[in-house]
Amino acid sequence: MFGKEKTEAAPSTAARSDNDTAFFGAKLSLKGKVAGSGNLIVMGKLEGEVDLNGELVIAPPAVLNGEMRAVTIAVSGTVTGTLSAGEKIHLEKSAAVSGRMNSPRISIVDGATFNGDVEMKKPADGAASSKRAEKK
Amino acid sequence: MAKDASSGTTSLVSRPVIVEGEISGEENLHVDGRVKGIIRLAGDLFVGANGVVEAEIDARSIVIQGAVTGKVLARRQLEVQSSGRFSGEATAASYEIRQGAVFEGVSRMLGSKPQAEKPADPADHSPKK
Repeated sequence: MFGKEKTEAAPSTAARSDNDTAFFGAKLSLKGKVAGSGNLIVMGKLEGEVDLNGELVIAPPAVLNGEMRAVTIAVSGTVTGTLSAGEKIHLEKSAAVSGRMNSPRISIVDGATFNGDVEMKKPADGAASSKRAEKK
Repeated sequence: MAKDASSGTTSLVSRPVIVEGEISGEENLHVDGRVKGIIRLAGDLFVGANGVVEAEIDARSIVIQGAVTGKVLARRQLEVQSSGRFSGEATAASYEIRQGAVFEGVSRMLGSKPQAEKPADPADHSPKK
């Protein structure tokens, strides 16, 4: 026998992810609820609820419908519903939002569309307000 | 990563994320977190070692390193790697079950008649640790 024993290593495909950023591509659609920590980039369709202890990025051609809660939310896609951010919401030029925004800080770039209500205080619902966003 | 919205795109449910509901689309999906519900993909499903999926699944190929429970259809291949656990009802055009993998339930070959089902025990080498 030789000194070293071969460990049964997971096959090559295991390598891919120590990555906390979830990604839903443009051709994916999701109905239901997404929860957890880490960041999420959505380019597809999402209908339902997002409750994220991290950053939510809604990138075109994303179409979201429902209630989104996160620490920070950056929108350049289309959203109908409620956006609640513990820290800030940013609407890029290509953003189209109708519904409600609730965040202590809100920025809207010239060219973005927003129709609805704004409330500028911390969401009472504490779920998304703790600061774990910077965790790398 | 994937700017290209072709069917080559792989979406990712990362480790700290839980999805409940229906995921469908013309992409591949990599799950390191948890998914509960329904998954329908034109592409492949890859469940990483930390992934836990409890769902009705329809995908092209399915590779399992984590845990999958449910009724599963792999139009091409179902692969359970050595760290993987599957329990439920599987239908696939071909199977690969590695040593150490756990497969509990029923397997059918895609295209064969439903009565041709057999109890699946090709991998009774459950890891005992």
